[in-house]
Amino acid sequence: MNATTVVVLKAVAYLALVLFASPLLEGVMRKVKAIVHSRKGPPITQPYLDLAKLLVKEDVVSEPGPVARFAPPAAFACVLASAFFVPFGVSAPAGSAGDLFVFVYLVTLSTSCVMAAGLAQSSPFSHLGSSREMMMLITAEAVIVISLLGVAVGGHGALLSALAVSGFRWSSLVGLCCYLLAMQALLGKLPFDIPEAEQELMEGPFIEYSGPSLALFKWTFYMKQLVFGSLFFNLFVGWPRATGGSVVGGLLNFAVNFFAVVVLSLVVVLIDATNPRLRIDQSVRFFGGLIAVAALGVGLAALGW
Amino acid sequence: MPWTLLRAKFREARICLSAGRVTLSYPYAPAAPAPGFRGLPAVDASRCIGCGGCASVCTPDLISVADDGPRARFTWALARCTYCGRCAEVCPEEAVAMSAEFETATGEVRDLTMVVDIFMGSCNRCGRCYRTQTPLDPPHPRPHHQARVEAICERYRPVATAAPPGTEVAS
Amino acid sequence: MSETSALLSTLGSHLGGKLLERSRLEASGALVATVAPNDLRDAARFIHESLDARFVISVGTDCRPMGQGFRVDHIFSQDRRRTWMVLRAFTGADDPKVPSITPEIRAAAWAEREFQDLLGIEAEGHPDPRRLVLADDWPASLHPLRRDVPYDIHPEPAVGQAQPLAPPPGDSVTVPIGPFFPVLEEPVFLKVFADGEEVVGLDYRGFFNHRGIEKLGDSKLTYNEVPFVAERICGICGFVHSTAYAQALENAVGAEVPLRARYIRSVVLELERIHSHLLWLGIAGHILGFDTVLMQTWRMREPVMWLMERITGNRKSYGMNLVGGVRRDIPANEHPEIVRVIERIEKEWLKIIEAVLEDTTLLMRLSKVGVLSTLDARELGSVGPTARGSNRPIDVRIDHPYAAYDRIPVHGIWKDTCDAAGRTLVRLEETLESIREVKQLLAEMPDGPIMRTFDEALPPGREGISAVEAPRGEVIHYVMTGDDARPYRWRVRAPTYANLQALGASLKGMRIADVPITLGSMDPCFSCTERMQVVDVRSGLVRVYSQRELHEMVRAGSGRGGAR
Repeated sequence: MNATTVVVLKAVAYLALVLFASPLLEGVMRKVKAIVHSRKGPPITQPYLDLAKLLVKEDVVSEPGPVARFAPPAAFACVLASAFFVPFGVSAPAGSAGDLFVFVYLVTLSTSCVMAAGLAQSSPFSHLGSSREMMMLITAEAVIVISLLGVAVGGHGALLSALAVSGFRWSSLVGLCCYLLAMQALLGKLPFDIPEAEQELMEGPFIEYSGPSLALFKWTFYMKQLVFGSLFFNLFVGWPRATGGSVVGGLLNFAVNFFAVVVLSLVVVLIDATNPRLRIDQSVRFFGGLIAVAALGVGLAALGW
Repeated sequence: MPWTLLRAKFREARICLSAGRVTLSYPYAPAAPAPGFRGLPAVDASRCIGCGGCASVCTPDLISVADDGPRARFTWALARCTYCGRCAEVCPEEAVAMSAEFETATGEVRDLTMVVDIFMGSCNRCGRCYRTQTPLDPPHPRPHHQARVEAICERYRPVATAAPPGTEVAS
Repeated sequence: MSETSALLSTLGSHLGGKLLERSRLEASGALVATVAPNDLRDAARFIHESLDARFVISVGTDCRPMGQGFRVDHIFSQDRRRTWMVLRAFTGADDPKVPSITPEIRAAAWAEREFQDLLGIEAEGHPDPRRLVLADDWPASLHPLRRDVPYDIHPEPAVGQAQPLAPPPGDSVTVPIGPFFPVLEEPVFLKVFADGEEVVGLDYRGFFNHRGIEKLGDSKLTYNEVPFVAERICGICGFVHSTAYAQALENAVGAEVPLRARYIRSVVLELERIHSHLLWLGIAGHILGFDTVLMQTWRMREPVMWLMERITGNRKSYGMNLVGGVRRDIPANEHPEIVRVIERIEKEWLKIIEAVLEDTTLLMRLSKVGVLSTLDARELGSVGPTARGSNRPIDVRIDHPYAAYDRIPVHGIWKDTCDAAGRTLVRLEETLESIREVKQLLAEMPDGPIMRTFDEALPPGREGISAVEAPRGEVIHYVMTGDDARPYRWRVRAPTYANLQALGASLKGMRIADVPITLGSMDPCFSCTERMQVVDVRSGLVRVYSQRELHEMVRAGSGRGGAR
């Protein structure tokens, strides 16, 4: 099996995974939340049904225009593309084509598309949501970026695939904690689901979108869970991996990685289920402090710790 | 502070998880209400004496009474029922009872319209409907049920004397 | 009643000859002082300030059939002395008007606008005399509660009557909350003016749920039909309304209710308070995005609903009250079951309280949010946990005891933090107190009949007042008996009516994110608040800030950042 075939197969597998396994992951998270709520909850295939329903509906938006038309698919495409740079137990298909910074650009671009989508509509709720999204971007996402930087500094490189964990490091531990907390915000989970607060802003930037556009926004968030979760495991947590480049070994690593992401998602949903929503000013203060901690992590990494 | 917060979250999680799942299978499994539940009124027409007490206490005024010769028709527009149970409470013959029926949603108002036709006895003498004697009225020399069988209105009914059955006594 | 005599003579000596008439409603514990309309303002100020009485509600009545023109009653409560004070004035049958007391007593704002709308009695000098209750297209000349207007009238819609809403001040933006909004279970329109995330002003429009209940009560319904309509005033706390009505009528005619019935009423009232407070905590959690709290508290609440279904025949519309007593007994063999259910709840509730008190993320959303000062709570007539969370020691069970509350100790619970956290703690602890009270009531319930008989028809023209401490605060009913076994006038004021008027004050300087939880912390029940006719309403401006204050706020806010 030559290298090209492997890459192509990997790319297909990634596409399939990120597109079609992410709603399943979301379904599992909803089921776990239901258990915490002492109720039966929807079937774990519910997100598939939700997306299918939305995709066939009419795409109605109150202020049509190029932003409203292209922001949802753009946000979706960015996150999907960013997945190709993230190791998933095996090295990423586009892993040598782009590094940490490309990944960060793509993710930030996706968030900016969401913000633009909110600003393009005239509802005060979507504007408030976009303004909150902006504040989350410059705080929570900054924490993620700085944590990743810490790993890069410690690993002396920026290619994500090359930054797999090798042994314990203090800077990694600091980065791990910061990343976890910030990831909660990026995935739109409590206590940080502030831009899309249903009870306060009626879904914030998404309020005016419906049908396929809304489906793409929701799918984007489902995919983010998989992407960020996987990145977390490959950069901050180490586990024994099958080496040697065999297909079976690769598949094994892939499966273990997926399982690990599922476990992480359970942690995410448990934190989500046991917390109220914070206010934006409280969240900004919190992440502001976390930026300093993450920066400390970078410093530690630079010192070789 | 983070420690107390974590402990609080643990406590909350424990409350949640120790409760288990409480979702009932209804409507895929039946859910019978408690005894004494006030569901849809049900009328045992054989006991109804057509007094109209139910109609007069019904708060939404859903019981309408119409006389058609010897027949009294009680039309219950049960779509308006508020299940208060006053009809059952005041009925002197216990002809009305609140059933356990609560699954009353329907697209057809007809399903919730109940008609009770009572044949009101008419006097054998003059043919008009009359109010039969009830246990609350002053005692009649003849037993109550016999007076019913005789079916004579008050104009022709004997007053309290010891006259033998079947005798006509002018009032 | 020497306390009340002292009150009357103090009032009398202040008013001198202006006090036209004085009387007592003995069973209601009320004093009625009649003055000329022109002396209303002065008398009201005296009662409110010097006698330290709390404004409760106003009642407008059409007394033209009795040759007395229109009548305005302002009801005050002397909580310390367990007395109601009714300040009464009669005005002419043509062009009725009275001087407004709102400039002196802010809490009377809505009450006067209500009799203006519904009876056409003009409140002269009212600072905000716009329509409160009736729909935009209801003809201005038609006043529904007048005796000559049929209850089922359907007038042609009037046009061109709509009044414009206030525009947003300065550079601020309007954030419309309602009439449809995820956290509101009932329609209300809160027009919030925001500068970035900060609230700089508020406009309120309500009464979408007005259903014509008072009109039904004084036209179509008989005395014993009213409790069944009354318990549908509210979707959660119906029993407080049917009890308050029954008690008001019983007070009016001096009918003594059997003791066992009074105990049963108290037991049901406290069980209702328990399930209402559990419901409230769930709603508060949901508002904050903490759906787990919603699910778990409502799970804990279910056994009470099933219990009520067993005891009364329905989960919520208990249908227990009639005038003179209750319809169903709670026999002794049911008592252990009740105690078992509430003790289970108590165990879990204590765990919840313990967890909540240490849950900093939850408290962060409740502390210093929706601050209502003690003074504002008094001036704006707040009641219930909303007032008690602002250190106002008022509780109808203690101040005007009714049912069996004079026979068991009631421990009032108040907090001094004056914010949403304080109100939360009040409700949490009140639930425990209710559980304790139910157990005591059941243990001490005397034997005897549960319904009294009435030997003759109830005489017309008798007045009665009764208040009940609902989960949300003081509910007050006023009844005047009429002919043909129907009330002549039935007035209802629910606690949210009073508490909503304090919403503006408690949102001052808050952020948008705090608006839903501030509203939620008052446990609003809009259906209770709004009880008359049709739909598509206009309410009025809750005048929150003066121009100067608004400008100051906008100036202070602009230095703070925020994206927009």
